[in-house]
Amino acid sequence: MKKVALVGAGVSKFGVRKASYRDLIWEAGKACFDSIPALKPKDLDGLVVGSVMPERTAFQSHISSLAAEALGIRPSALSARTEHMCASGTVGIRYAYAFIAAGLADLVMVLGVEKLNQPSGDEAILNMGTGVDREWEAAFGLTAPPCFALAAQRHMAAYGTTEEQLALVGVKNHTHAARNPNAHFNKGATLEQVLGSRMISSPLRLFMCSPITDGGAAVILASEDRARSLTDRPVWIRGTGQALDGFQLTSLHEDYAHWPALKRAADAAYRMAGITAADVDLAEVHDCFSIAEMIAYEELGFCKKGEAGAFAAAGRSDYGGDVVVNPRGGLIGCGHPLGATGVAQAAEVFAQLRAEAGPRQVPDAAIGLTHNNSGMGEHVVMIYGREPA
Amino acid sequence: MTYFRALDPFPLESADHTKLHEFYTRLGAGRLSTTRCAKCGQTAWPPRGFCAECASDAFEWVDLPAEGTVHAFTVQDTGLPAGFSGPRVFAVVKVGGHRVFSILLDADPARVTLGQRVRLTPLAVAADPKGNPRWLPAFTPSA
Repeated sequence: MKKVALVGAGVSKFGVRKASYRDLIWEAGKACFDSIPALKPKDLDGLVVGSVMPERTAFQSHISSLAAEALGIRPSALSARTEHMCASGTVGIRYAYAFIAAGLADLVMVLGVEKLNQPSGDEAILNMGTGVDREWEAAFGLTAPPCFALAAQRHMAAYGTTEEQLALVGVKNHTHAARNPNAHFNKGATLEQVLGSRMISSPLRLFMCSPITDGGAAVILASEDRARSLTDRPVWIRGTGQALDGFQLTSLHEDYAHWPALKRAADAAYRMAGITAADVDLAEVHDCFSIAEMIAYEELGFCKKGEAGAFAAAGRSDYGGDVVVNPRGGLIGCGHPLGATGVAQAAEVFAQLRAEAGPRQVPDAAIGLTHNNSGMGEHVVMIYGREPA
Repeated sequence: MTYFRALDPFPLESADHTKLHEFYTRLGAGRLSTTRCAKCGQTAWPPRGFCAECASDAFEWVDLPAEGTVHAFTVQDTGLPAGFSGPRVFAVVKVGGHRVFSILLDADPARVTLGQRVRLTPLAVAADPKGNPRWLPAFTPSA
């Protein structure tokens, strides 16, 4: 397999945006091309777009071609859209990676974009129900919060995890987001604010949850030859893994505090990269809810099963700790424009490993990990390095 | 025209629309049932028209107990989709060895407990566009 690297990355402003679906594609594309002035849209030979529900939110399908035309890209080797609910962006990166590693493409943009906010807020939430099983789950009004609430309740009962520990992850990620001008939220949050925010689904309160967010993000992947000729600081893809435990709540591991698919995806990625959890300097993990970040600490191997609450409370997932988790502010602080999230995670790792992350810079970051999931049972992990594997 | 993009949130349950229509017919009569593979005998929840074990598409209907126990639950207060309101008790109910996702009706959210016994209560939802009644498998606390 050929080596593959990121050579460019950019994100739009995330938030409740006064912008169309296409506006967000333009903004993410502009930010990405601005990061690598040597490249013009016509130089690329492929485009993959991660986007979950434009059919519902923009009444639009045929997304890859729309985005290619919007950005002036003329795919000659690869054009595709990926839909894998909240992990669509990272699944798109894996497609582009595989095409380039196989020698079928040389220079591919992966764009993630979502315009979730609608004239009616109720409808935006209704649309989120498309991510769970319509017939057996969504028909009851199920969306993501109660699913992750089940995991939080189980983690609290089995390991003594506290509401305060759940809240501290919200505090950390809101604090990080205050240093990220592209984040949905820029004001930070105190422990009192998180614990005092309204209950969404017990025990998860508003500031322990990611919001409904519009946004776009883009990265450009290149073959080794192209990467070395385009930049002296490529960010190499060193490992990747994806695993499925189950789709419906009733087919997942019976103990919702255990996410075996995440461990399997991480183990595959570590093995491929030739590293262990202890080598990771920063991790962009899928904190759609604070409990998700905490279970990720455990399944990714940053701490033992059951110790995530103490790990967070001791600051071991923050600057100065074992590994900086979600330096850009995570999904809780940046928002979660579904298809854009995994690509924005990669864009943060790109900036961090090139020492371009400004006030968010993790000192001497050499290895970055991203974790993107679609529900509790489906996980994707990527490992990036300043040096190739 | 009223501004809308939303779709019907409930499944189309009649024989015109799904191979699983028998489930809903039985549910309307107060029975909880599921499929058993006619080839390998594997019983599944939820019902399915394709066996995940042996790849057969032949199945028969079997009844499940009408009573089960609460395996996991959460109460959602806010942030529910259009057409649904809180507080809403979502629960995973253990029924005859299967985990069934559902909601609890007529349950005081503060008094729901793990292991609590609950009983099948078919919930009538909006009729389909042809006026056929539609049902979802909900549960209520056992007396």
